[in-house]
Amino acid sequence: DISALSGDAGVANISVDAAIGGSTYQHSRVNQWSSSVVENCLGQLTKLGKPFKYIVTCIIMQKNGAGLQTATSCFWDNTTDGSCTVRWENKSMYCIVSVFGLAI
Amino acid sequence: MEFQSVSFNSDEASNCVKECIESIIGGLDYNQNKVNQWTASIVEHSLTQLVKQGKPYKYIVNSAIMQKSGAGLHTANSCYWDTTTDGSCTVRWENRTMYCVVSVFAVAVGL
Repeated sequence: DISALSGDAGVANISVDAAIGGSTYQHSRVNQWSSSVVENCLGQLTKLGKPFKYIVTCIIMQKNGAGLQTATSCFWDNTTDGSCTVRWENKSMYCIVSVFGLAI
Repeated sequence: MEFQSVSFNSDEASNCVKECIESIIGGLDYNQNKVNQWTASIVEHSLTQLVKQGKPYKYIVNSAIMQKSGAGLHTANSCYWDTTTDGSCTVRWENRTMYCVVSVFAVAVGL
């Protein structure tokens, strides 16, 4: 039931806030931040106990005026599979998290 | 009938994606007006090539293009799937003016 994925945007938002909310971009820490975000998010999703395989991706980019464009294309079952993307930012960085759910 | 188990060939997918990137943005400079259609072309083209291989997989192809201006960029992904049959590969490409990162995720279709 892909309508259930709309709740996953909430999970992704909470995971990002928990990992980097209020922090300033730091090159030495961004590695562990992006790992925390995806692991945290995946943990919350699997706890929901739904019959899905999940892929969670995260991009963190420093704000300095550079342009960033992302795109995704999926080959799956449109009736059961779905995705959601959350765009988050604070004063020093952008964070984009995507969740893909594929029915088993 | 013999049961054949499949596993994801990430080298093959990697080469397929590299060719797609080269054919679409190889030799071009970062252009804000065009980057939208570049990322869309890269994912669609890569996906088509992968599906043509006719393997029993669902695919997700993700691409990011970033202008080179000194900003830091970090990506990460985490997957909850069947590690014996599913897999992914990530290709990092760059030229003088931009970086391109493409990730392919392949999830086996149940038989």
